Amino acid sequence: MTTLAVHGLTKAFGGVVAVRDATVELREGAVNGLIGPNGSGKTTLFNLVTGMIRPDAGRVTIGGRDVTGWAPHRIAGAGLGRTFQLCRVFGRLTVLENMLVAVRRTRLRELAGGLGNRADLDRARGWLARVGLEHLETAEARDLSYGQQKLLELAAVLMADPALVLLDEPAGGVNPALIERIAALVRDLNAEGRTFLVVEHNMDLVMGLCDHVVVFDRGSPIAAGTPAEVQADGRVLEAYLGV
Amino acid sequence: MAVSPSASSGTAAPGRLAGRAAFVAGGLLLAAYPWAAPNAYLRYAGVLVVLYAALSTAWNLVGGFTGYISLGHAAFFGLGAYATGILVVRTGLPHALALVLAVAGVTAFAAAVGVAAVRVRGSSFVIVSIALVSMTNLVAQNARWLTGGSSGLRVPPLVEGLSRTANHVVFFYLFLALLGLVLATWWAVDRSRFGAGLKAIREDEDKAESLGVPTTAYKVVAYAASAAFVAAAGGLYGIWFGSLDPIFVFSIVIGANMVLMALLGGMRFLLGPLLGAFLVAPASEYFLLAYGESQLHIVLSGALLAVVVLFLPDGIIPALRATWRRRGPRAASIQERSAAELAAAREEVPA
Repeated sequence: MTTLAVHGLTKAFGGVVAVRDATVELREGAVNGLIGPNGSGKTTLFNLVTGMIRPDAGRVTIGGRDVTGWAPHRIAGAGLGRTFQLCRVFGRLTVLENMLVAVRRTRLRELAGGLGNRADLDRARGWLARVGLEHLETAEARDLSYGQQKLLELAAVLMADPALVLLDEPAGGVNPALIERIAALVRDLNAEGRTFLVVEHNMDLVMGLCDHVVVFDRGSPIAAGTPAEVQADGRVLEAYLGV
Repeated sequence: MAVSPSASSGTAAPGRLAGRAAFVAGGLLLAAYPWAAPNAYLRYAGVLVVLYAALSTAWNLVGGFTGYISLGHAAFFGLGAYATGILVVRTGLPHALALVLAVAGVTAFAAAVGVAAVRVRGSSFVIVSIALVSMTNLVAQNARWLTGGSSGLRVPPLVEGLSRTANHVVFFYLFLALLGLVLATWWAVDRSRFGAGLKAIREDEDKAESLGVPTTAYKVVAYAASAAFVAAAGGLYGIWFGSLDPIFVFSIVIGANMVLMALLGGMRFLLGPLLGAFLVAPASEYFLLAYGESQLHIVLSGALLAVVVLFLPDGIIPALRATWRRRGPRAASIQERSAAELAAAREEVPA
């Protein structure tokens, strides 16, 4: 059984078909990569599976359950977490508050009483320590550096304990040392049983990090396989280089 | 265990104690006001100021937390006033019961309206909120059989035969109690996880949704709670004032004043709207007195709103704080460094 799958997914904006009859299944327990030229529909696919936009046709399933057309917060509740292409944190909330926005299965009673119970606070601090931000918990998120914000965004997503994490360009705009740190973190989290889907332009990162790569071109998957297989695929070269 | 967002900034403890003392002192001063006020007019003006402080703080339950700017909250003020008045006049219910029923009814109405209204964001929401106050005004003007239309509705006083001055004193304390209740609610929401979700909506609604926050439900609850307090203020106003006219209660000016006061003081702060009300309401009354029936006070309110939006988008509270910090004893950098780092740095300094 796969964690996330899409079948015959189609989405058009006006006359432009961004995603066309796409069928993709992710490997459970793997770091899945999604690559493709600019405008090939990767981000639209992300937005479709996270419920940010509704497909014109096709189905999205998570763990075998049909979640097509669900609101984003319900999809998040089904165990899917995501980061954004241009890192998004809550600027005028503190780092700790950022962490506590996303906690699954909140009871009504807990909503009124304080920011979080002891267990949630401990977990939040645990994640902050893991990404190296524990000393910043009372700082406002907007005062963090871009790299720190990227780490905070990832940590906040992990607070909801998602089985599947979608990373939209985790290496975008960050320095090489931090890219390596994020990659190491993803490997560790994957080893702990979390499935990943990574959209990335940095080919070194994709090839080094991913177990399974799907290549998109003009709204549809054109190839899938291990990084080595995909790199050797003529259609992929054609899509990227136009040869 | 619960923590407040600022609980762990170590330098705040003495400051917070002073803040609490100031809070209590301010409350006592306010409670003494009706006895200090030299004449009936100033007692009346005092009631008006506290009423506006309660309205603006109630508005801030939705405006300050979610960033949804409602210019039409006067709709709930008018509905609360008319529902209370009509229940008292037409069914003979006791005032308190009429007020409770009116607040419950308006809250339910606001929740229903909210489900539709909070679907649109930004300026579209502002327009929807203005449409709401215009529609309720039209309905109140035209349903003459129920509201008396533009000839008004007379609401019998709370206590027959009470002098006007004594009436002002009674309602000063009733509005003060309402203000206390609204402030306590805002304070509790501010430190709750529900509040964190609302603020996340203000900062980045799509992001909050992607983290699992049921944003629509959160917004509707905040909107309805805000409307409930505004309706209570409206109901009290109707009983206090004794006569209602649709154009005065379903008024865009009342709604705009709530926004202006909150913006001026600072929407992200508990006491921001209160501070704004204490500045704007007396000023507005003064200009009404000085320039009579001219519309100058409305023009000035508008000008002030423009100035605040352009030059003080966060309100005067953060500006005051910054000034205070510059003048006060040098505070340590608040949170860039952990205790361990500070200890390490101290050791590095040669003795």
